[in-house]
Amino acid sequence: MTGLVLAVALGLGAYGVAVLEHWASTGRFRVAGPAISALALLGRESILPRKPDRLFFETAPVLLLVAAVLSLAVLPLAPGLIAADLATGALAFNAALAYVLVALIMAGWGPDGAYGMIGGWRFLGQLIAYAMLVVMPITAVAMRAESLSTVQIVASQEGLWNIAYQPLGFALFALAGMAMAFAPPFDLPTAAGDLAGGVEAEYTGVRRLVFRLGRMVLILSVASAMTVFYLGGWLGPWLPGWAWSAAKILAVASAMLLGGRMVPRLREAALLEWSWKLGIPLALANIFIVGLIVLVVPT
Amino acid sequence: MSELTQYAILFALAVGIVGLVLSLYALARAIGRNKPEPGKDVPATAGQLSRDPVWVRYHARYYGYALLFLAFDMEMAFMYPWAVVYRQEGLVALLDMGVFLAILFLGLLYGWSQGALRRQ
Repeated sequence: MTGLVLAVALGLGAYGVAVLEHWASTGRFRVAGPAISALALLGRESILPRKPDRLFFETAPVLLLVAAVLSLAVLPLAPGLIAADLATGALAFNAALAYVLVALIMAGWGPDGAYGMIGGWRFLGQLIAYAMLVVMPITAVAMRAESLSTVQIVASQEGLWNIAYQPLGFALFALAGMAMAFAPPFDLPTAAGDLAGGVEAEYTGVRRLVFRLGRMVLILSVASAMTVFYLGGWLGPWLPGWAWSAAKILAVASAMLLGGRMVPRLREAALLEWSWKLGIPLALANIFIVGLIVLVVPT
Repeated sequence: MSELTQYAILFALAVGIVGLVLSLYALARAIGRNKPEPGKDVPATAGQLSRDPVWVRYHARYYGYALLFLAFDMEMAFMYPWAVVYRQEGLVALLDMGVFLAILFLGLLYGWSQGALRRQ
C-alpha cells in the first residue's frame, strides 16, 4: 500500500517538475505539455549513432533514472511514508547521486560525438566543484540530528527548521544541489546554445524520453533533499504531513528552476574557483558554527 | 523492518525501474521501427562526421582541484561517523576534528598559494 502511494507520488512529482521546467523555460504553464511531449518522443525514431559504444550508450539513461529514483527512495514524504528508512539514509542519498556523474560520462562517451564528449567531461569538473559542498552541509545537519537517518533528521527540526539553524549550510547545499542536478545556471553538461544539447544531443526518441525522465526525477530528488534536510520535511501546522512535504518540494523546485533562469551560465573554471576558494571555507565555517551551537544549546 | 529488507527494497526498486524502461522500449518498438536512411546516424557535428577522432585523451585542466578533492573526499569518510556521535563526545570531538580540519585547511591554503586553485 505504502509502495503504491509512493509510486503515485513519484509519478506525480516527476510530472509536476516537468510542468514547472516548461513553465520556467518558456513562460507558459501547460499541464498537458509533458504528456504530449512524452507521447511524441515515444513515437519518434530512436536513432543509434554510427559508431557507438553500445554498452555505455544504452546504460546511461537507465542509470540516470535508477540513481535518481534510489536517492529519492531514502527520503521520507511523511512519517511512515518512505520506501527504505535506512539508518545511513543521508549517506545513501549521496552514494546514489554519485552515479549521476557515471551516467553523464557514459552518455558523453557512448555516442562518439564531440559535443556529447565535451559535455560529459565538463560534468566531471563540475563534480569536483559541487561534491564537497553537498556532503559538508549534510554533515552539519547530521551533527544536529545525531543520526544519518533521514526520518530522524526531520524529527530533529521539530523546534526550529535547519534553514534558520544553519542558513549558511542551506545556501551552500541549495547551490550545490542545483549543480548536482545540472539545473541552470549550472547546466554545463547539456548547455543548450554552446554544446547543442551536450550529453543529451545524440539521444532521440524513447531513449531521450528515459533521459528526460531521469533528469526530472533528479530535480525532484534534490528538491526533496532540501525539504528534508533544511525545511523541516513534513513538519507544519493544520495540514497533513504529506501535503506539507509536497507543497515544500514543489515550492523549492519552482524556486530552483525559475531562479536559475535569471542568472547566466557559469564557466567551469569560474565554478571551480568559486566553490573552492569561497564555498569550502564557508562550508567548514558552517560545520564549526553548528558544532558550537550544538554544544552550547541543549537539544 | 530489518536493514536487509531495506536493501532488498532498494534492489527491487532498481530492477523495477529497469523493467519499466525495457517495457517503454518495447512499446516504442511496437509503435514503429527505425527507417535506415543515409546521414541519419551522424553525431550532431554540423551534419558531418567530425574530422578528428573523439575518443582521445583530454587535458584534465582542473587537476589541481582534483588532487585536493581526493584529500577532502577522504576526510568526509571520517566526518560522517564523527557527526553522529558529536553531541555525546562533546568538546573533545570538536577539538579533535578541529585540529584535523585545520591541518587539511592549511593544505588547501598551501595549494592555493602554489597556484593549484586555477584552471591550468
